[in-house]
Amino acid sequence: MTSKYEFKKIFESIFKEYLILGAIAVLVLVTSVVQPAFLSVGNLSNVIRQFGPLIMVALGMTFVIIGGFIDLSVAGIISLVAVVTVHFIDIAGQGPALLIGLGIGLACGILNSALLLTSGALTQAEALFITYGMSLVYGALALIISGGSTKHIFWSENNTNLFEIIGSGSVGFFSTSFLIFLICLMVLYLLQNYTYAGRVMRLTGGNKTAAELCGININRSIIFIYAISGLMSAIGSIVLISRVTTASPVIGTGYETNAILAVVVGGTTLSGGKGSVMRTVLGTMLVILLSNCMNLLGVSVYLQYVLKGAILVIAIWMDNRKQS
Amino acid sequence: MQNIKQDAILSIKNVSKNFPGVKALDQVSIEVERGTVHGIVGENGAGKSTLMKILSGVHPKDSGTIIFDGELVENTTPILSMKSGLSIIYQELNLVSTMTVGENIFLGRFGELGGMQHVHEKAKGLLESIGSHVTTYKLVSELSVSEKQMVEIAKALSFDSKLIIMDEPSSSLTADEMKALVKIIHHLKAQGISIIYISHKLDEIFEFCSVVTIMRDGHIIDTKPINAITRSEMITKMVGRTIENEYPKRPNCVGETLMEVQSINTKKLHDIAFKLHRGEILGLVGLVGAGRTEIVRAIFGADRIKGHKIIMEGKLIKIRKPSDAKKAGIALVTEDRKTQGLVLPFSVENNISMAILDKISKYGFLNKSMETEIAERHVKSLDIKTPSIKTTVQNLSGGNQQKCILGRWLEINPSVLILDEPTRGIDVGAKYEIYLLMKQIVENGGAIILISSELPEVLNMSNRVLTVCEGRITGEFDPKDSTPDQIMSKAFASERKE
Repeated sequence: MTSKYEFKKIFESIFKEYLILGAIAVLVLVTSVVQPAFLSVGNLSNVIRQFGPLIMVALGMTFVIIGGFIDLSVAGIISLVAVVTVHFIDIAGQGPALLIGLGIGLACGILNSALLLTSGALTQAEALFITYGMSLVYGALALIISGGSTKHIFWSENNTNLFEIIGSGSVGFFSTSFLIFLICLMVLYLLQNYTYAGRVMRLTGGNKTAAELCGININRSIIFIYAISGLMSAIGSIVLISRVTTASPVIGTGYETNAILAVVVGGTTLSGGKGSVMRTVLGTMLVILLSNCMNLLGVSVYLQYVLKGAILVIAIWMDNRKQS
Repeated sequence: MQNIKQDAILSIKNVSKNFPGVKALDQVSIEVERGTVHGIVGENGAGKSTLMKILSGVHPKDSGTIIFDGELVENTTPILSMKSGLSIIYQELNLVSTMTVGENIFLGRFGELGGMQHVHEKAKGLLESIGSHVTTYKLVSELSVSEKQMVEIAKALSFDSKLIIMDEPSSSLTADEMKALVKIIHHLKAQGISIIYISHKLDEIFEFCSVVTIMRDGHIIDTKPINAITRSEMITKMVGRTIENEYPKRPNCVGETLMEVQSINTKKLHDIAFKLHRGEILGLVGLVGAGRTEIVRAIFGADRIKGHKIIMEGKLIKIRKPSDAKKAGIALVTEDRKTQGLVLPFSVENNISMAILDKISKYGFLNKSMETEIAERHVKSLDIKTPSIKTTVQNLSGGNQQKCILGRWLEINPSVLILDEPTRGIDVGAKYEIYLLMKQIVENGGAIILISSELPEVLNMSNRVLTVCEGRITGEFDPKDSTPDQIMSKAFASERKE
């Protein structure tokens, strides 16, 4: 009897682990049969480019959700970072502008956590509302700074152009943005699985009280979590503006929901404690492929929203079934 | 009306239940006669809770038959089983704390009764029938644990229950509240209602159960009328081996002063001061809510307080947060292991390593092989029963979970170990192992502060007992030459103010 259950358990875990891979495979297969244009070089490179900014945001979001929180402010942060970075290109030059952008993202993340800690808002629901409020603030700042207008990135032909390299350059076989993704993934994977900070962030999502009573500094962990999310949003923002070469003050709209969707579909639990950045990579692939396929198949944009919402609900439903 | 009085209200035949990797119930058969109090005892993990969950329809059974009140029960759900007259009062009570007493009793059935007026009237009648005088307009969050239990019983009665299952009802009751519960049980019995009473406390089983069933490892070991079994027989059957004594010999190795606590003053605590000696087990006795937990939380830095002094080995130390306490060699095993102790979805290994994560990290990187080594060492030395150290701690029994937390704190080599209700909800066998461990710790020069609601435990294990009442220390006793009555009278003594 026992071995039968063991077997069933192993089968179930394999099924759960690879369900998402299966979904991706089915999606690719069906679309490429119905719409051969899917496999064209142009479309595939388009898919990879879209992948860049979202994966960065989603990787950061993974840490927030594993920590038992949520971060809706990423949309605002992306817009703000985009506008400020472009603003400083003319004034301070490309290198400094890039650093300022990253600094702004980091600062926004730390500000979020400071607000959570000082207001004593330590539940996911409270974090949801506070970060939503901050998203509005960051978004409004982006509108104020830009005066509401979209700005193009200009670069002179004779200098090396940082943003051009990020947006359309390549190192050997890989595009620069893909390389940035690989580096981020590697660093975050190590952070998550092999470091003290990574373990503490997991414990924060697992049981804050217990961790605190073990002498673990939970406040520092929460600051760290939101700092990562802020910084990753900033990186995502810079990858995005480098590719589209414009910075609109509402450029980040929708990234928060897509990032959460990617993380949850990947299999990280909303209740905290469990999940991984690797899962998020798969989740992001599914989300990107899904919208690409639906575009190719001519599914209306409105219906796409319905499907995305349904997938999020199903992912949460499956996760809760798994836990009970 | 009921012409067949002596038949079985509930008859369980050959019921089995498997969970992945665990055989939770194996061919279990029990008959509960009408109008009796049927006790079920067994260690944690014996299958009592699983059986109750199958009866109430939380889990489906794998095989076997259940006949309740003459009818075959198949595919039941919690609501259906309640409506058929089978109610369960769980250890952690299931009430909506933000609603009133009356609303809780008739939750979801306001319409049937024709308005809230009737709801409160009927609720009042039900509560009075069991001798409770709680106003039905009070919020449940304002009630004491025993009052909440009354509300649960009234709720069960509102469904015309024929069988009420009580799962560890006394685990958080004071002596007086317990008396009230006993009265209610007799009262229910007189009304012809059958009761299944699950408890770890054998005294209670002997006090008012007429039949007792002993379970172990998913099997029924024996069912006997209560006057045909002795206490030691019962324990032997529960643990599957003979336990000579419930407590080991009291350690006797008290040395010089190790820690001195002075003037802890908070809203709840007043002038708390005491000394703790090397090699000593100091018992704190008091009612639930007397301030025992608050005292140890203050020492451990879990609650932020000011103005107190803690002197450790002659040196004044500052403890502002738990990590300071940890550095000073103080460990706290909290009373609620599920919400404050364990990270339930994490592995045994990760739970054991929690207090020494900083020590096994170098340049910010965790030394995972060291973590594994530490976890394996404690699993072995404490005899934690787990398939592997990677097993989720949620799947372990209460006693083994508690041992994981003990292992966690033993790893920091504490000189002062604070144990808050260390054996609550733990079976006899694991209890004894924990007592032995306590003995070993003090014999190696450590000191223990023991908080427990089980007076025999404190009296048998401590070298000295302090009574706590309404936030003050009201008495000091040597348990060897004081009676439980003497000690309890101090724990109950309230300050008389003119």
